[in-house]
Amino acid sequence: MKTRPRIGLYALVVLSVVISFLPIVWLILTSLKTTAGIYAWPPQYWPTPITLANYIKIITDSPELLLYVLNSFIVGVGCTALTLSIGGLAGYALARLNMRRAALLMVVILAVSMFPPVSLLPSLFQNFLNLGLLNTYTGLIIAHTGLFLPFTVWMLASYFSTLPAEIEEAARMDGMGLMRIFLTIVIPLSWPGFVATGLIVFIFSWNEFPLALVLMTQNAMRTAPVGISLYPGEYAFPWETISTATVIAIVPILVLTAIFQKQIVGGLTAGSGK
Amino acid sequence: MTVVQLERIGKSYGSHTAVREFDLTIQDGEFLVLLGPSGCGKSTTLRMIAGLESITTGTLRIGDAVMNEVEPKDRGVAMVFQNYALYPHKTVFDNMAMALKLQKVPAAEIQERVGRTADMLGLTEYLGRKPAALSGGQRQRVAIGRAIVRTPKVFLFDEPLSNLDAKLRVKMRMELQELHDRLGVTSVYVTHDQIEAMTLADRIVIMNNGVVAQVGSPREVYDHPADEFVAGFIGSPAMNFIDFRRDDTGAWASVDGGLRLAALPFATGGRSELRLGIRPEHVVVSAAPAEGDFTALVRLDELLGADALLALEIGGTRLMARVGGTNHPRAGDRVGISIPAALLHAFDPATGRALERLTTGG
Repeated sequence: MKTRPRIGLYALVVLSVVISFLPIVWLILTSLKTTAGIYAWPPQYWPTPITLANYIKIITDSPELLLYVLNSFIVGVGCTALTLSIGGLAGYALARLNMRRAALLMVVILAVSMFPPVSLLPSLFQNFLNLGLLNTYTGLIIAHTGLFLPFTVWMLASYFSTLPAEIEEAARMDGMGLMRIFLTIVIPLSWPGFVATGLIVFIFSWNEFPLALVLMTQNAMRTAPVGISLYPGEYAFPWETISTATVIAIVPILVLTAIFQKQIVGGLTAGSGK
Repeated sequence: MTVVQLERIGKSYGSHTAVREFDLTIQDGEFLVLLGPSGCGKSTTLRMIAGLESITTGTLRIGDAVMNEVEPKDRGVAMVFQNYALYPHKTVFDNMAMALKLQKVPAAEIQERVGRTADMLGLTEYLGRKPAALSGGQRQRVAIGRAIVRTPKVFLFDEPLSNLDAKLRVKMRMELQELHDRLGVTSVYVTHDQIEAMTLADRIVIMNNGVVAQVGSPREVYDHPADEFVAGFIGSPAMNFIDFRRDDTGAWASVDGGLRLAALPFATGGRSELRLGIRPEHVVVSAAPAEGDFTALVRLDELLGADALLALEIGGTRLMARVGGTNHPRAGDRVGISIPAALLHAFDPATGRALERLTTGG
């Protein structure tokens, strides 16, 4: 009797994993098929023959893909670094400094992030044009930072409030200033929070489409999702190219997740208190 | 010489007052315990002395200097927290050395002072470890060491033993006592545990609802509680409180029946009602009722080991008594009890204030 809810829970978990992974699996399988295999009817589930021809072709024929990935990487790293720096300081101030109306500010920050990014596009485009920020890394980094900052502030502020306040008070008694407490005590103790938030922001930035499409108009500056989506097809949609390029574009994300998985799960505060 | 003076210190959060008009001088080398139930303002008072909480009204002096606006690090105080508050990512040595490093004390001197303190607390072999690799008692010792290394003028303790298990708590309590004897530094210690307060304190400050209920030596607060709250808070099991009313003959009879006392050694001031208090350990129980004893029925008996607790019923009045643990009366027994007038306490039922004891017998 007791195990029945468990089974239901597992079934739900398995279902959600299948639903979220099926497209990716299909994508990977497609990238390993021949063109004939992709258009075969009835559809081919398992690629026969398995071929790496698409990968070789894309790397030799369209070297700009690597440029797109590099652009995405630069923007992603820049945006993550900037977001964590500003978001960390803002989150700490909101969580710990007994600011007046901190709760109200948190709600306002959340409210700002409710605007669909598309609604910001015209004014953002005009302003970036005037400032000469179109087709620059700086421009897209700033735009992405603005987009993901509310989320970061919320994530980090709630992480900071889980830390025992006494550690910071002890640091104050020991003679540390606020900035030193933040840098030498709070950041090391919140490392898992920073890694998790940073990884999510990086993925957001990597996948972000509308702003990247509009603010990076030169082909050489395009990010991976935009560049891949604009692959030209003369008569037919080039499925083999798009699926292969997409697989290549998600590899960095998978690698990063694998590297930091332990950091995300592990807690560092063990041993400070009870 | 470090005297800590709190002059009408108060703390409010908006309309809520946490501490009201706290007025006290803590003598040099004194071990002062702030005792009270949770939310009574004792921790807030300590944190105001530490500088972690701003002072709303009043003046705080440490030594001769007014400290109201001084940064915590410049007050010459060190604090030990309930949950230790060690830096989890730093070694025991770095935890203890942090304050000295920030004061730019030369490395050789830091080495020497941390080494000496670690030696005193038996922590030498753990200096290279991180807090996570220590037991609860060792962590608390590191927290105490971190405070000692700074050679503060005042030690502040915020329920430092509450996270330890019962056995370890007794051991650490004694270590704290020895430490205080050795260092002789003025100490302020917050606790809700009356045993810690009674054993450690030179003087106890009992707080209730943000107000000081009584200040006195452990003996004084036990023997002469200023009001019903203090009387009920100090002592375990708690003091028995029984309502009495004056009858037609001028004698005092318990409202629930059963007890009747001809005369009371208190300045009753024409009151017709009052509340008497008697500690369980002061109720005299005899297996065979003697002349003048009340007869009581034992409803429950609990053997604690050396002692036993008896729940007694005299007429309609219920009473707890503490007796010796050997051959104690059992539930269902009828026993005789007497209540020594000299050990009674009397309180005004409306205000809770203790009534003055008459020195001349009467």
